[in-house]
Amino acid sequence: MTTVIRTEDVWKTYSLGSPRQVDAVKGASIEIPKGVITGIGGPSGSGKTTLLSLIGLLTKPSKGKVFIEDKELSALSEVFRTKFRRERIGFIFQAQYLIPQLTATENVAIPKLCTDTSRGEAERLAREKLSGLGLGHRLDFRVAELSGGEQQRVSIARSLMNSPEILIADEPSSSIEEALTKDLLATLREMVDRDELTVIVASHDPLVLGWCDRLYTMRDGEIVIQ
Amino acid sequence: MGVQKHSNLASYALGNVLKYRTRSAALLIGLVFATTLLCSTEFIREGLMVDLTASLDEGPDIVVQKLVGGRQTSIPIDWKENVSSFSGVRLVTPRTWGYTDIGNGKLLTIMGVNATEYGSILDSIGTDIVGIGRFLEESDTRKMVVGQGIVDVMAAAGNPRYVGVGARLSLITYDGELIEFEVVGVFSSDSKIYSYDMVLTDINSAAAVLGYDNSTCTDLAIWAEHGSNVNAVALQIDNGIPQSRVLTRDAIRDIMMKTYGDRAGIVALLWSVILMSVVLLAFTASTAGSDEARREVGLLKALGFDTIDILEIRMFESVSISLLGASLGISLAIIYDFYMGAPGLAGYILGWSLVLLNGGIPLVISIPTIFTVYAVALVPILVATVVPAWRNAITEPDTVLRGV
Ligand SMILES: Nc1ncnc2c1ncn2[C@@H]1O[C@H](COP(=O)(O)OP(=O)(O)OP(=O)(O)O)[C@@H](O)[C@H]1O
Ligand SMILES: [Mg+2]
Repeated sequence: MTTVIRTEDVWKTYSLGSPRQVDAVKGASIEIPKGVITGIGGPSGSGKTTLLSLIGLLTKPSKGKVFIEDKELSALSEVFRTKFRRERIGFIFQAQYLIPQLTATENVAIPKLCTDTSRGEAERLAREKLSGLGLGHRLDFRVAELSGGEQQRVSIARSLMNSPEILIADEPSSSIEEALTKDLLATLREMVDRDELTVIVASHDPLVLGWCDRLYTMRDGEIVIQ
Repeated sequence: MGVQKHSNLASYALGNVLKYRTRSAALLIGLVFATTLLCSTEFIREGLMVDLTASLDEGPDIVVQKLVGGRQTSIPIDWKENVSSFSGVRLVTPRTWGYTDIGNGKLLTIMGVNATEYGSILDSIGTDIVGIGRFLEESDTRKMVVGQGIVDVMAAAGNPRYVGVGARLSLITYDGELIEFEVVGVFSSDSKIYSYDMVLTDINSAAAVLGYDNSTCTDLAIWAEHGSNVNAVALQIDNGIPQSRVLTRDAIRDIMMKTYGDRAGIVALLWSVILMSVVLLAFTASTAGSDEARREVGLLKALGFDTIDILEIRMFESVSISLLGASLGISLAIIYDFYMGAPGLAGYILGWSLVLLNGGIPLVISIPTIFTVYAVALVPILVATVVPAWRNAITEPDTVLRGV
């Protein structure tokens, strides 16, 4: 099994002005293999979201390194990290971050707007992704008019717009009920099996964690169980 | 390559303008208001400058007044001989002028001159100063050449009267009597405000209306010899006649420009205050400043937008609102000034009650003014939205992973 992402003793310290400092992640070293679902569990405040930010190149570690395919991407400049995210990483955020005034299609099309794909083409692709997730009948609804589960699927559709190799999902089941969570997990599983997608999921939902192929557990910023 | 992306960003930005409708509208209204005010002031100010220059060109090189105790008083006409004797003086002619009523509460300027002397100068300047009819002649008495404003105001009166050559108009004298005049000509001049509300007549008729003794006048108008130094001539007169106040054309220009310039300046100041509030509004309410906007920036960055892309979006937003606002403002100013005669503002800037009708306001639109208005509307809004956007855009987008 090839390792896609590897962290080497990464730390993330948020300083709120000394002496008030929060070590959100303390020396985490993990390996994420390609084409499987890796779960990150642990209680609230244990550093799961922070670790995902580091892996997803949304922030730089205070100490340590993040490798993707053996390249130390955490050391790269903002511009390169952004380009990498744009081309290869999909995100499902803890809060879904949809723009309520825009329609489902418009929301999903956003990641393509900073590329040379035409808006029309981006929206066509967005409709295709949404239909694939069973939202073909909600394409032109504003997301504010959609149910929680539907919004969740819009968010997933958006994360797939750049056909990512790596999908990072933070608490994907937080706003949906059990049946929908199962649907979601089935969808993820299908994509992993079909496209060799690498998925990293942070959650404290046992249902989600139970589906993962591999599991890390965090406590107080540290990886405690692998 | 890359064009498609810019068009995507522009259309996204335009979507934002529509999405945050209330804020866009508030900004737009503020901008329209500010640019309308600035523009209408500028049109008048520039028109005034052009007009004043024209009237000064038609006027004398030097004006001599008499001061008693620091106040201007009437001049004995026999000063004329004295002034004529200074070297470099080509012509000296007495003028008697002041303000009078035509019975409707509107004041107009009455100017009495020596027809032959004045006429010869005007001919030599080459100004085609009388449009209809003729100029005054030496033997004329109780005859007048009137400005277009008098024609306009009589035509607009309750019972309209067409004032043309041959018409008879009565002026109210200083002691309440009526004196009837016959119109012999109507001015057509580059200088609108100078001649618009003016009645030109012989010096004795003017003296009768204004209550001057026939041996005195208001001031002496002097034209210098061609090629002589006007300042040197003025200095000689000033030194030679201690009671005189000598004003050269440049000095008169300075006084006039200062008077009008200051008034326009106050309006411009007012305008800047308004503009500042627009900027403040833009700051507090802008896409760039709010939490919602900060989250949007974080989201876009997480999804792969570069800092520069985000700035471009914000720029498109501000530019579209500013250009629209400034264009509407300029259009409104044109309507307000040119079609409505700038009610309120014109009277304030011109600063006199002599303005008769809309036609009397000098207006000029110039490319630099329009350009300035666009620039002034654009730059603050651009700064107010792009700077906070830039500050958001350079921060790490990891905050989007959190629900705040
Ligand atoms: N920007 C920040 N500034 C300061 N402290 C922060 C910041 N972000 C996170 N923290 C702190 O870091 C710690 C870990 O936060 P994190 O969001 O990674 O936890 P989590 O495991 O995702 O929790 P949850 O399950 O509730 O989402 C928390 O104590 C939090 O207060
Ligand atoms: Mg979290």
